[in-house]
Amino acid sequence: MSIEALIGRQNPDGGWPYSRGGSWTEPTVYAIMGLLSVDESKSVQRGLAWLGSIARRDGGWPPRAGVDMSTWVTALVAILGPRNIGDAPYRRAIHWLLDTIGEESAFVYRLREWLLGNSTPEDDGRFPGWPWVPSNAGWVVPTSIAILALDKEDRRQPSDRVRRRVDAGRQFLLRRTCDDGGWNYGSSHPLGYPSHAYPETTGLALAALRGVRSRRVDRALVAAERFLAECRSADALNWLRFGLRVHGRLPAGYCTPSGVEFRTVPEASLDLVMTAAEQGRDFFWG
Amino acid sequence: MHPNLTRRQWIAGSAGAAFLSGCKTNLPPAAPADPPRVSIVRAPAYDQSLYATMRGILAGHGLDVRGRTVVLKPNLVEFEPQSTINTHPLLVHAAREAFLAAGAASVQIAEGPGHRRNTLDLADAAGYFRTIPKFEDVFVDLNFDDVTRVRPLIQFSGIQKLYLTNTILGAGLLVSMPKMKTHHLVGATLSMKNLFGTVPGGIYGWPKNALHWAGIPESIADLHAVYPRKFAIVDGIVGMDGNGPIQGDPKAAGVVVSGRDSLAVDATCCRIMGIDPFRIGYLRLAAADLTRIAEQSIVQTGETIAAVAAPFKLIPEFQHLRLVT
Repeated sequence: MSIEALIGRQNPDGGWPYSRGGSWTEPTVYAIMGLLSVDESKSVQRGLAWLGSIARRDGGWPPRAGVDMSTWVTALVAILGPRNIGDAPYRRAIHWLLDTIGEESAFVYRLREWLLGNSTPEDDGRFPGWPWVPSNAGWVVPTSIAILALDKEDRRQPSDRVRRRVDAGRQFLLRRTCDDGGWNYGSSHPLGYPSHAYPETTGLALAALRGVRSRRVDRALVAAERFLAECRSADALNWLRFGLRVHGRLPAGYCTPSGVEFRTVPEASLDLVMTAAEQGRDFFWG
Repeated sequence: MHPNLTRRQWIAGSAGAAFLSGCKTNLPPAAPADPPRVSIVRAPAYDQSLYATMRGILAGHGLDVRGRTVVLKPNLVEFEPQSTINTHPLLVHAAREAFLAAGAASVQIAEGPGHRRNTLDLADAAGYFRTIPKFEDVFVDLNFDDVTRVRPLIQFSGIQKLYLTNTILGAGLLVSMPKMKTHHLVGATLSMKNLFGTVPGGIYGWPKNALHWAGIPESIADLHAVYPRKFAIVDGIVGMDGNGPIQGDPKAAGVVVSGRDSLAVDATCCRIMGIDPFRIGYLRLAAADLTRIAEQSIVQTGETIAAVAAPFKLIPEFQHLRLVT
């Protein structure tokens, strides 16, 4: 998808769809990131205005207009930073993230599970992740995105509270590596059966673990390199590029294989973001 | 009442309209006036004969879809084209052709996978692009479809409201096309559990974890009540047993099981799989009156259950589900 095509997918309200239809927060954030990476400002301003119009009073963002709950996409919006979304909305978003944990880490839930004899080492509550939707369990994708947002905030304005959540979130990820080296969406052994790693979650989790030295990370990097060679999903390749690059393991001069189709707005946008990052303009870490 | 509608269809349509409008209502889901009919058709392989098989199934059930918007909802789970995890694309294409031949105004294919976010890549890997011409033009990714907030007519779970996709809510006929599989949380995944894929991941995430927290059997029963105009076509040609719905083993049952009444279809599938439908939580919940899923209450056409029975392996935790004959 060309930059012109990406701009052409922008809805009249200023947001973007995943492919077609109404505007959603996630593709709008990625489109804004992608267009900022190539210095396209007019569409960006309309996109930011749409995002501002759907911010919720609790500090979070809904997945799309008209949905009356704040969800994981709040972290994505926060990654855009105060310069793009405004200082006050940004601060509220960071607070929303700090106040949100996977329900399995909540005291009342853990107490109930303990009383029922259902506690497992994975959910001892010390290392809360983030859920897709409040009051649900923590999962790898929303946890990774929240870490990216809070780590960026911690580098902007260091804070013990933010750092503690980032560290706990990273432990959440490290405790969920699969036997084959990367990450599935959630538990590594749901119901006692081993789950397999997925390319896209492995790339994203590795990105969230930038700077972390661990044997689990080393094994995940090997898995990610294998996925990068085999996988033909644009979404997965974007995240694998990201995860490998922040650990210095993306092959020099890497090019996406021919035949890979960037069909959706997030896929095309993240390709722009990753390409810009590989050329020194890193939106997530800059 | 429209002269071409039966009372049952009219009640179902009215309930759906009330549901779509977001009105609070105490209307129960349409209760079948006649004994439900379920067809069991032998289909030994995924080959060209499926096209005739599907036309025969639609004719056998007397489905009048002329001028209606039909949405086929297969089960797409993983990037494993060699496994039996996904509904086979040839069966879906055969169904699409059959519904078009029967006069449907349009036949879309729609799915919102619960595990993987890159749906089109998943569909590509599962063979849908190769098998179905212009697949992308007829496919709707339900995870990212436009949505409407609705209140279930009957609530078994604690979910007070759900955001559901406009493609499914607006369908003249929703055709659930699951794979016949065991399921490590609820015993069996069939046409009713397949409705989880109609819940948008763009709102609820991957998997649709809100439904897990609300109770899986309860959420299945909620969704069953939400969609009144349904038909079920279960891909039991090669299903999955053991640790389904993802890590199980291929299991050839060689059948396509179909009908208007999802409860009756799923109960029949369970019996073919050697599973006692009375022990499947969501069937018990949704049936309310358990005689609805009793074998003698269901008019069976085509093959008999006994003729095609192919007991599926069950994981140790679910041995108690085994049908005792």
